[in-house]
Amino acid sequence: MNNFLDKIANLRETPLGSFVPVMIALVAIWIYFGINEPIFLSPRNFYYLFMQSAVVGTLAVGVTMVLLLGDIDLSIGAVAGVCAATLAVLTTNMGLYAPYAIIISLLFGAFLGCIMGAIIAYVKIPSFVVTLAGLLGFQGLMMKILGINGAINVRDPIIRSISTTTLPTTIGMVLAIIGVVLFGYLIIRNRSIRSKKNLENETNLVSAVKFLFFSILMIGATILLNLYKGVPILILILLALTFLLGWISTSTSYGRSIFAVGGNAESARRVGISIEFIKISAFGIVGFMAAVGGLIGASRYASVSFNAFAGGPLLLEAIGAAVIGGTSLFGGRGSVWNAILGALVIGSLGNGLDLSGARAADKLMFSGAILLIAVTLDAVSRKK
Amino acid sequence: MNNNTLDLGNTNSPNSLPHFVAKNIIKNFGGIKALNNLNFEVYRGEVMGLVGDNGAGKSTLMKAISGSQLCDSGTFMIDGEEVKISSPQDASKYGIQIVYQDLALCENLDIPANLFLGNEKKLFNYLRFIPNFLLPLDHLSMEESAIESMKNLKVSTIKSMQAKIGFLSGGQRQSIAIARAIKSDSSIVLLDEPTAALGVSQTKEVLDLVLRLKETNHAVVIISHNLNNVFEVCDRITVIRQGENVEVFDKLKSTPDQIVSAITRGT
Repeated sequence: MNNFLDKIANLRETPLGSFVPVMIALVAIWIYFGINEPIFLSPRNFYYLFMQSAVVGTLAVGVTMVLLLGDIDLSIGAVAGVCAATLAVLTTNMGLYAPYAIIISLLFGAFLGCIMGAIIAYVKIPSFVVTLAGLLGFQGLMMKILGINGAINVRDPIIRSISTTTLPTTIGMVLAIIGVVLFGYLIIRNRSIRSKKNLENETNLVSAVKFLFFSILMIGATILLNLYKGVPILILILLALTFLLGWISTSTSYGRSIFAVGGNAESARRVGISIEFIKISAFGIVGFMAAVGGLIGASRYASVSFNAFAGGPLLLEAIGAAVIGGTSLFGGRGSVWNAILGALVIGSLGNGLDLSGARAADKLMFSGAILLIAVTLDAVSRKK
Repeated sequence: MNNNTLDLGNTNSPNSLPHFVAKNIIKNFGGIKALNNLNFEVYRGEVMGLVGDNGAGKSTLMKAISGSQLCDSGTFMIDGEEVKISSPQDASKYGIQIVYQDLALCENLDIPANLFLGNEKKLFNYLRFIPNFLLPLDHLSMEESAIESMKNLKVSTIKSMQAKIGFLSGGQRQSIAIARAIKSDSSIVLLDEPTAALGVSQTKEVLDLVLRLKETNHAVVIISHNLNNVFEVCDRITVIRQGENVEVFDKLKSTPDQIVSAITRGT
C-alpha cells in the first residue's frame, strides 16, 4: 500500500503530474455525460457551462494565491458580494459612469483583502479565523449596502456587456491560433536554448503532450463556442487575469517568495523575504479577484442579490475548484491554471447532473466525493 | 563585497592574523552567565571545531556571531579590524554565513530556486519602472550557476537540478545548504551539527565538502557533538565549558580522550 502511495506521490512530481489528474477527471465527466445526456456536449450547453464556471473560476484563481502560502480565504464569496453590491449602488442608485464604478469596486475588494492580510500578518491570527470573521462581517456589510430589498438590479449597458458580448467568430479563432502558435514557439525556443546551454531538457513526449493538451483545449473550446455565439469577452478577461497571475507566481521573485513562504516560512524569513508584505499583497490579490468575480456575477445575473453571493456554495466551490486543480491546502504547491480546470470540473459536474435531472442532494454528494479524492491525492503526494 | 575579507595576502602564512576573532564575549540570560569572557578565533583555510557539552554556550556563541542574538559585551574582528555585528544582515555583509542544523531549505522548491532564494537573478534589470520583485526571473542563468556551484563542490550525486529538495537525501540537502552559504562572497562558514542524522556515506560526502571549503580558503567552523567527525576534518578544536574557554587543541598534538576530558571536566 505504501509503495503504491509512493508511486502516486512520485507521479505527482513529474512535469505533467500536477495537471493530468484534473484533466482526466474533466474528460471523464465530459465523456460520461456526453454519452448519457447528448445535449451536454452541445455548443449551447458548453457556452453556458463556461459562463457558469466563470465566477467560480475567477474566485478559484484568486484563492489559489493564498492557498500557495498555506493560508485560506473564506471570505472570497462575501467580498465578491460586497464589491458587486458597491458596484450596483454606484451605478444603479448613484448613476456613476460604469468604468469608474468598476475601478472603485475592484480597488475596494483589494483593500478589504489587504486589511485581512495585514491582520493575519501582523497580529498573527490564523487566516482561517480572520477570514471567517470577514465572511460574516462582509455578508452583513453586503446586506447593509443592498438595503431593505436585498437586491439591486444592474441595467448599466457597459457592465452588462461584459457577459453578453462575444468576440466575432473569426477574431476568436485567430486569437486562439495565435495563442497556440505562440505556445509552440515558446516551447521550441526554450528547448533550443536549453540544449545550447547544455541544460537538461524535458523529454520530447512531455513537450508534445503539453502542446497537444494546450492546442486541443484552445482550438476545441473556440470551435465549440463559435458554433453557438463566439468566445465571450468574459472568458477572455478571465484567461488574461489567470495568465497574469500564473506568470507572476512562476516567473517573478514575488511569486517565488509566495512558494517559499508556503513551503517553509522560517527559511523564507531567514533569507530576508518579508512575510508580512507577501501575505498582505497575496490577500490583496485575492480581494481583487473576488471583486472581479463580483463584477462578472453582477454582469451575468443583471442584478446583485444577497442570495447569489452569500452563503456557502460559491465560496466552497471556489476553494474546491482550486484543490481539485491540485493546489495543496498545506501550501507551497499548486498552480492558478489548474484552478480553472478545477472550476470546469465542478461546473461540468453540476451542469451534467442538472441535465440528467439529478437533485441538489446528489450534486452535493458527487461534489463532495470529487473534492475528497482531490484532497486525498494532495495528502498522499505531501508524504514525500 | 567588503575590502577586509578580500585581503588574501596574509592568509596562508601560519603566523598571519586570524581571519575572524571574537574577543571577551559576555552574554547573560538573567543571572546565568551563558558566555563569560569567551574568546574564539579562526584562520582562513582552517577548519575549527567548536565543541562542548549541552549548555556550554556553543549555540549562544554562534547566534552572537550570526547576529541573530546580540551579546552583552565583547568585540568581533575580521582581519584585525573591529566590526559590529548586530543583525543577520550585518553578518552576511561581512561574509559570515551560517548553515543551520535544520538547513532552512524550502522542500517544495527545486535546487536553483533554493540556492538563489531571496537573491534571484533577474532579466531586464534596466527597466526601472517595474518593481524589482516583479521583474522576470532569469531561470536559465540561475540553473547554470547551480550546476556550476555543484560542480565546484564536487557534488556528483544529484541527477537533476529540477529536483525538488523534498526528494533529495539528507547529505544532498546538506550539500545544497552549504552551496547556498558559500555562493556569495562569504569567507566564514559556520556549520551547525552538519552530520547529525546522516548515514555513513552521506557523512563522508559532507565532510569532503568541508575539506573543499578549506581548500578554497574559507574559514570554516564546525559545531558538533560527534568527536570522530571533528577529529577527521578539523585542524584545531576549541573546547568551551559553562560559557568559558577551556583550551584550544591542535588536532595533531592531542587525542580524543583529552578533548572528552576537557569537555566534561574542564581540564
